[in-house]
Amino acid sequence: MLFYILRRVISAISVVIVTVVCSFLLFFAAPHDPAGVICGPKCTPERLKDITNSLNLDQPMVEQIGLYFKGIAVGRDYTAGGVTRHCDAPCLGYSYILGVPVTDLLARAVPVTLSIVIGGATIYLIFGVLIGTIAARVRGTTLDKAAVGTSLVIGSVPYFIVALVIALYATFLPRSQYTSFFENPIQWAGGLLAAWLCLGLTNSAQYTRYSRASMIEALGQDFTRTARSKGISERRVVYRHGLRAAMTPVITIFGVDVAYQLVNTIFTERIFQLPGLGTRIINAFNQYDLPVLMGGVIVGATVLVVMNLLVDILYTVLDPRVRLG
Amino acid sequence: MEPLIEEAALEPKGASIDAMTAPTGQPKKVVTRHKSPTQIALARLRKDRLAMVCLGIFVFFILIAVFAPLLAKLEGQDTTTLHQDLIDEYGFPTISFTSEHWFGIEPRLGRDLFARFVYGARPSLIVAITVTAITGVVGVVMGLLAGFLGGWIDRVISWVVDFVLSLPYLLFAIAAPAVILSVMGDNPTEADVSQVTRSRFLALILVLSFFGWASLARLIRGEVLSLREREFIAAAKVLGVPTHKVLFKELLPNLVAPIIISTSLALPTYIVAEAGLTFLGVGLVEPTPSWGLTISNATTYYRADPLYLWLPVLAISILVLALSLLGDSIRDAFDPRTRR
Repeated sequence: MLFYILRRVISAISVVIVTVVCSFLLFFAAPHDPAGVICGPKCTPERLKDITNSLNLDQPMVEQIGLYFKGIAVGRDYTAGGVTRHCDAPCLGYSYILGVPVTDLLARAVPVTLSIVIGGATIYLIFGVLIGTIAARVRGTTLDKAAVGTSLVIGSVPYFIVALVIALYATFLPRSQYTSFFENPIQWAGGLLAAWLCLGLTNSAQYTRYSRASMIEALGQDFTRTARSKGISERRVVYRHGLRAAMTPVITIFGVDVAYQLVNTIFTERIFQLPGLGTRIINAFNQYDLPVLMGGVIVGATVLVVMNLLVDILYTVLDPRVRLG
Repeated sequence: MEPLIEEAALEPKGASIDAMTAPTGQPKKVVTRHKSPTQIALARLRKDRLAMVCLGIFVFFILIAVFAPLLAKLEGQDTTTLHQDLIDEYGFPTISFTSEHWFGIEPRLGRDLFARFVYGARPSLIVAITVTAITGVVGVVMGLLAGFLGGWIDRVISWVVDFVLSLPYLLFAIAAPAVILSVMGDNPTEADVSQVTRSRFLALILVLSFFGWASLARLIRGEVLSLREREFIAAAKVLGVPTHKVLFKELLPNLVAPIIISTSLALPTYIVAEAGLTFLGVGLVEPTPSWGLTISNATTYYRADPLYLWLPVLAISILVLALSLLGDSIRDAFDPRTRR
């Protein structure tokens, strides 16, 4: 067990390191003139020199990558306009266009993205599992067919279109905005409600299908028959005995899915105009702010890898049927 | 499920028994018609009415894209002419549908909407079909090599597949077009429109292909691992058939079902990806007509001019829905175990 976890951790770290190297090559080795791009449209020769010196763009590639890793581990210094600023570890670079370290910029956007995903995920998990379970209980009836059909249609229409239509036409919902939870929890929930409902409704479609399939399987098992033969109520059979067994695969999917949602809230944030990670990254794209883009890619990849790792380890603990070969 | 060999041209029941038992000794004549599994699946698909309707919708959109110039000429408009004379001082069009402008004109710029609509079908379909073809070929070849050859080749390919699947695709899809212009040697802040358009097209296809092949390769590898130990492969090896022939003549025909299923399910996702990325502003750029761009522009006019928004919205939704349902039907036809 311990050996398995260790092996998984090492492979996860290797994936993150390779991602950093690959994105470094993509952003700083592949372009002909990275300093010119980072410098932006209103570039002065001094600023260009600052950038070249601070990022060590005149030195060999290996040394540049080494310095970037050193920045992540212990921090490094950047010179901008004659002033040297220290960028604390984990330093993901320095945005010359905005004049702030990338880590600070992204850290400010993280609570927004987290709020959106946590609220949305709660809604779609509850809704999806509930509808899926009910559909499984009344399997084959019109109600079941309606639930499956609706989830199929909702799941097939592109997410950004559903989100856009909700954002434009559901004007009875409170105006979408972000307030910190610690400042005013009610305003926080109100401002995010539209985004939560949108994320929740569209994603509950696939959870309906997962939990329906899983529930049908669980209800066909021997233990369900045993539970029924004991004479306990049908409600208890379904929600106590069936649901528990049916939830293991759904929770596994949920774990990985939340990681993808964190990385993919770009559409939700853009459409509901919330200042999260996705909006940051789109803004960085529009300004050709390569350090911010690179920081975003690295953070996104790390979130995915870490969540996958956690789910895998949890799965081996939760489900005794998983044997480690 | 239908029988693999159909017994055709049988005499009526009584007669055939007579023939069997007749002392004249005429043996029963059974004409057998052999069908490959693919033919059986296609026959099953033809009977699926929903699948045929969805196929019809897909063909309809392809025809629109192919004959876009013809359709625009029929209407007598093009995608770029600004009809400023039909725009009032607030930027709203003064006409709705006329015989000259079948779907009306854009607010503010006054470009013809019908022409932009029919031309807008092109980028989605071109990108989606190109990417499906590239990912199909690369995924199958990689999966075949990894599954059949094993050893260090398998380890390397499998690691790359795991690596690609663990990357955040959407973030790379945003990052790549930012870099690709300067990779091509132009400064992105000074590049002209045609350079940007070309680079965006390239970036879309590159990114979607890079992230699309891995899941197919993993699927094919798994299939090959189980097929590899079967007798007919062993027989081919013993007979001294060269490896490339074993791969493409023996293994590949047995992989037709998973390949067709996964590519038909992948096609609509690429259409969504193109439209979505263009909507975000990281895909195609003006003045290229694209549904994603139109949707993005139309959001500011959705109350005054609902058709401007709803035409591309409905078009993409219907196309993607039809393709997804068609993909499901194809999966059911090729793999009856998954039938709903």
